[in-house]
Amino acid sequence: MPTFDFLPLLWWGLPLAAAPVVIHLINLLRHRRVPWAAMEFLLASQKRYRTRVLLKQILLLLLRVAAVIGVVLAMAQPRWTSALGQLLGGARTTHVVLLDDSYSMSDRTGEAGGEEATAFDRGRQVVERICSELAAASGVQELAVGRFSRLAAADPSGAAAPKFDIPRRPATPTVMQQIRDELASWAPSAHDTGPREPVTAAAELFGAGSGAKSARVVWVVSDFRAGQWKTADDTAALLRELTAEGAEIRLVDCALDATAGAQGGRPSGNLTIERLEVAGGVPATGVLVPLEVAVRNQSDRPVADVAVALREDGAERPGVRIQQIPAGGVATQRIGVRFPQTGSHVVEARIPADAVAVDNARTAVIDVVDRVDVLLIDGALGAAGEVRAAARTGDAFYLAAALAPGAGATTGLRPRVEPARSLTTLDLKSFDCIWLLDVERLDPAEVAALEAFASGGGGVVFFVGPRTKPELVNRSLVRDGKGLFPVPLAGAVDLLPDAAAQAPDVVVEEHPVVAVLAGQRNPLLDAVRIDRYMAVERGSETAVEGGLRRLLSLRTGAPLVLERAFGAGMVVVVLTTAAPEWNTWARGNPSWVVVMLELESHLASARRKAESLEVGAAVRVPLDAAVDGIEVDFVIPPDGTVVHQTASVDQTGSLAARLPAADAPGAYAARWQRADGTQRERLFAVNVAPDEGRLERIGRERLDRTLAGVPFTYENAAALQPDTQSLAGVSLVTPLLLGLLGVLLLEQLLAYSSSYHPTVRQPRSA
Amino acid sequence: MTPASKRYLHPEAIARITRLELRARAVVEGVLAGLHKSPYKGQSVEFLQHREYVRGDDLRRVDWKVWARQDRLYVKEFEEETSLRLALVVDASSSMDYKSGSLSKYEYAATLAASLAWLALSHGDAAGCAVFDSQVRAAVPARTKRSQLASVVEVLETVRGEASKGRATAFLPVLKTLSETLPRRGLVVLISDLLGDREGMFQGMQLLRKRGHDLVLLHVMDDDELTFPFDGPTRFEGLEIPDHLACNPRALRAGYLAALEAFLAEARRRCAAASCDYSLIRTGEPVDAALVQFLSRRSSMAV
Repeated sequence: MPTFDFLPLLWWGLPLAAAPVVIHLINLLRHRRVPWAAMEFLLASQKRYRTRVLLKQILLLLLRVAAVIGVVLAMAQPRWTSALGQLLGGARTTHVVLLDDSYSMSDRTGEAGGEEATAFDRGRQVVERICSELAAASGVQELAVGRFSRLAAADPSGAAAPKFDIPRRPATPTVMQQIRDELASWAPSAHDTGPREPVTAAAELFGAGSGAKSARVVWVVSDFRAGQWKTADDTAALLRELTAEGAEIRLVDCALDATAGAQGGRPSGNLTIERLEVAGGVPATGVLVPLEVAVRNQSDRPVADVAVALREDGAERPGVRIQQIPAGGVATQRIGVRFPQTGSHVVEARIPADAVAVDNARTAVIDVVDRVDVLLIDGALGAAGEVRAAARTGDAFYLAAALAPGAGATTGLRPRVEPARSLTTLDLKSFDCIWLLDVERLDPAEVAALEAFASGGGGVVFFVGPRTKPELVNRSLVRDGKGLFPVPLAGAVDLLPDAAAQAPDVVVEEHPVVAVLAGQRNPLLDAVRIDRYMAVERGSETAVEGGLRRLLSLRTGAPLVLERAFGAGMVVVVLTTAAPEWNTWARGNPSWVVVMLELESHLASARRKAESLEVGAAVRVPLDAAVDGIEVDFVIPPDGTVVHQTASVDQTGSLAARLPAADAPGAYAARWQRADGTQRERLFAVNVAPDEGRLERIGRERLDRTLAGVPFTYENAAALQPDTQSLAGVSLVTPLLLGLLGVLLLEQLLAYSSSYHPTVRQPRSA
Repeated sequence: MTPASKRYLHPEAIARITRLELRARAVVEGVLAGLHKSPYKGQSVEFLQHREYVRGDDLRRVDWKVWARQDRLYVKEFEEETSLRLALVVDASSSMDYKSGSLSKYEYAATLAASLAWLALSHGDAAGCAVFDSQVRAAVPARTKRSQLASVVEVLETVRGEASKGRATAFLPVLKTLSETLPRRGLVVLISDLLGDREGMFQGMQLLRKRGHDLVLLHVMDDDELTFPFDGPTRFEGLEIPDHLACNPRALRAGYLAALEAFLAEARRRCAAASCDYSLIRTGEPVDAALVQFLSRRSSMAV
């Protein structure tokens, strides 16, 4: 499509095309008047030649109009641009450059024998090259540049237009130099932004463009990692829409192939700390808290001997070494950390530098308390608080002894024994786990409170016993599978003694809680004798919706301990007593303590999981309007920049302070003042999305499949060599002038044949 | 010579005309003895022939001497010498007002008419004149007196000063009137541009011819009408026809000339059919040259 160097001239000049018509009309009004005698011959001639004269006049007018248009076009300097020339050499071309700054672009896979450069560096060079070519190109060029992370930044109101780093502006040499200067300050972000949001932003930019249609070019400068591009269906649809509206799509690949690294540069492999979290245990002072760190090997070669360093509140702590991580696999290692003080602690795990640096560290914030309260609802406590069982023989006693043995064995747990009515009077949110010990009955309010607790992520454990009434349980707690209780009970039965006494009463199933007891025969568990248990209704296990999971079974095959998810929480039923009334488990058997502690840790894990935000997410601090001030300072890593935010009531109706987006990984602190004058601080761990660390390339073939139906050009950053000549386009002035000459000659011939040329009157002969 | 006659009688033209003789055809009776022989027989001094008597012949012309010798009745026939009676019929319709040079067609026709009248009178012939458009506007009968030229010129001057437009040409009633009013047979010279009711003109000419008149048609056309040299946007407004045409004249020139040529060819053909002597005269030509050409032609026809 031709473009014009001086497009305004075209718009101003084109109306002149009407001049021949206007002149013709004026001439019609300016006829010379001649009184004429021989009108009959003239009228006869006019009658005979009327059609021919009219056609010639119209043709002549058209030729003259064409001549004027030709002159105007020639003055506007038309160019016929090639495919490349249309991109950069066109008259009015809008270029939108979308620069991928996700952290995979910080890949330092080196060029063989060359200077190291990140993919982002190469992307930046591509943008610079585009700027240079645009500054030199003819025609009106406009450029907008946006980084992926900025374009994807969520706006709280959702109304603002995407934020381009460099809004659309004319590509003059001065502006291009300013852009190049600004580019120097750019660095890869810690985001994992994919192409969808940036391409959407480009579409919106074009949509909000200046009415006149101009050539449009979308440059996507990225490393085209498989993780983001192989499922980019939304992006493909957007690109299809853009191309349907005439936009040119140019994909510029900045990443080097893995073979480049293999030939002498840095290793192309990348290790990513995928997880760092509390793996069970109780986050209480003095308690050894197991932290689990998972490292993924993103390369196609196994990696050995990876040192994981640990920092706790900025202080180095003993790390661990991972012997080997298989190619593409994950290695998990546990590290025990003991926190001497209460409060929020920042733990950071770090692995040695590799191709991508930002995913070599991961932060976790662990809130450590003095003791964790555990609520034990003892069925032995009557409605009036009457103690019907001896304090040292009841279920609560044995369970409390298991959870908090005392005498130097610190578990961090603090059992609190309460009657059933406490379920409606206590703030259940302050507990991670509630144990119900042979409770005879629960009224509907108590059942509702308990179910709300469980569905909110809490753990609930039922122990049955002599007071348990199966029909009441089935009616109020099972409710045909809709209730909290996992299975309907049939009734208490005795476990007949094994005459041969060869098999233990309790069989360990495959479950993390009893994993320590699984495997070879465990003498501790073998010593457990089950005399009586509560049988479940026949066939009820398989009929339960959502599935049951056994922890322990009896040698008869009947279930002993069952687990079922309920909402976000978990419910476990132990079909025997906690006290050594129907069994001998709690009587001096260490496995009782181990299993109960593991069970507590397992059920409370959902609540104790350290909250971790991903880069790009908003940091939200819920506040209590009654006690908290609304002015909150966010301290942002790594340099401790303080951003002040005022809390407001959000869409959920609750008061909260909000940091719109966390751009850097690390520990964020939110500080505010309470009404009583005390300072509060809450820490948040923000980490990169581990999947972005996968450096697998999508490759041209898969990209073609993903972007099926999208016409695009795919070039390597190093091979992108815009040709100035083709950018400028081929000038159409010469052929246009030749055409104009032809039109003028034709016009003269036609005018002559139409007798429009004035004749020199011959002097009369004497 | 009156000032009016000077207008139409250019001395140069008259000087050239005096060297020529106006010779009518043999069929026209002449008044200048020896010069104009008439086909009509009558009383004269020069015997022509005898012929046998038929009933109705005048007994006075019976040659009794022959009857006495041969006992047969013969009558004597004599060749009668007569003076030329020249009737000039000049078209004064609006179309004759067109002019591209110094003279309009009417002025040119009037000059021509006056010259012919002066020539005839100078040879002792009688000359009369009628000016017409849709009717005879003015006329003077043929006379031989010396003051007749002034009368002719006065008639020719009659239409000057009248409104130029709207005077249509109607040949038939005019020529019919003339055929009825001309007392003796003579030479009728019609000077016109023939733009008008041509069919009527030819019918009128037939009437005159039946009355024994010798007919001469001097077709006066302006040079512009013959060459149509116009260019540039022009609005032609009819002098006789109440019509107009805005056009590029050169685009219509070919068609115009073709129509004109057809018109002239028809005029020649119809004149020949009516035994009418036709001459096309261009106003661009000098009047004397036109007269010389005309008279030369007439002279050659009379031999």
